[in-house]
Amino acid sequence: MVENYAILPCNGLDKCAGVISGEIAKKLCENEKNEIICPVFYRVADAKYNKIAGEHPLLVIDGCPTRCASKLAAEKNLKISQRILITEEAKYHHIELNSGLRILENEKSLIEIILNGLNKAEAKPTKVSKETKASYNFDYETFQNGKFIFRVPKNSEVYYNENDCWAYVVGNLARIGVTDFVQQNLSDILYFTPPEIGAEIDQFGEVGDIESSKALVELISPVSGKVVSINESLVHQPEMINENPYELGWVAEIELTDFESDKELLIGFDKYFELLKKKVEGSNG
Amino acid sequence: MDKKVKVVPCSGIGKVFGLMAREAALETVIELCPEKSETVCLAYLVTGDKEVKEQIEGFNCITVDGCPKMCAAKNVSIAGGIVIEEIKVLDTVKEHKGKKFGSPTQLDADGEVVVNEIAAKIAKIINEKK
Repeated sequence: MVENYAILPCNGLDKCAGVISGEIAKKLCENEKNEIICPVFYRVADAKYNKIAGEHPLLVIDGCPTRCASKLAAEKNLKISQRILITEEAKYHHIELNSGLRILENEKSLIEIILNGLNKAEAKPTKVSKETKASYNFDYETFQNGKFIFRVPKNSEVYYNENDCWAYVVGNLARIGVTDFVQQNLSDILYFTPPEIGAEIDQFGEVGDIESSKALVELISPVSGKVVSINESLVHQPEMINENPYELGWVAEIELTDFESDKELLIGFDKYFELLKKKVEGSNG
Repeated sequence: MDKKVKVVPCSGIGKVFGLMAREAALETVIELCPEKSETVCLAYLVTGDKEVKEQIEGFNCITVDGCPKMCAAKNVSIAGGIVIEEIKVLDTVKEHKGKKFGSPTQLDADGEVVVNEIAAKIAKIINEKK
């Protein structure tokens, strides 16, 4: 079964075989454990996709013999675990593809055959996000600037970095996220890229990113440790960060490795609240 | 080489707005303006292949981008295409605030509505072009 794979399709659009390539990739990514790589964006976003390709077995799907996806994988020095060429598959299964760009009956049959073939392959172990049972109760202080209201948790267990990320520490665990300052600045958040479950994160290391039509913001972890769970709801509903970045919109839970040391470089509510005010006033010019 | 307008969407994979860009381009070249427009594969174009570059260079192009990275607009322009319009899916999406458009793999009914609106917008531009 193709699970926990990185899928790199040619995603071609000017030939039926390319459309099939994209379609198969999308079908495979209905299984949320698979990650898709955009062949166009990969050329400008090395860091994001190198990480995905490095952490998963790679399935390359080419539509036609031009093999754009394979060439891209070669350029990026990626190790290919499995490779499919749609035109060859069509030939092998005696299926004639239409000359247009729509998926019709023949194309549907080929997609089904290829997906069935892929799903017969050996299952791979996957890493599963398990939300912990830790309890997080927030007590807020607010600050208003014009029509914008900024809430900041004042619990003593909540720590901040100057990158506007928070960590709510309970025992050996921290739940992390961004503050109201980030979500207000970004406005409508459209995309969330979570960190990998099991990833070892350094303090101030990247722990995913969020993006709105205004900007892409890398999330800077206030703490070091291992990612044990992510807020999977955010993948499809990143706007929950706008609704409440502390409760609904938390990002990940991290098993702490050296919080006593991390703490020295973090600030508590009082200092962050003052910092936030300065930032808000500063951003007003 | 014919003078069809090239409608080039971003690759549109992995994000719902990208899927909408791609679907809007297909709707235009297959259903609305098959005689006056055609699409070119952006994933192929970014490989720098000479043959595909020739399909773009000096031709009128309409790009359709799903996110602010503007992959289609940038790459078509770099390849020498004459970008007569940069369509941003988000501009139309903003007119439908609060709606759910679907997932990166499947559009919902509201997603289809936006796709049709964008395709109609592109078709209008093509039809008004001499």
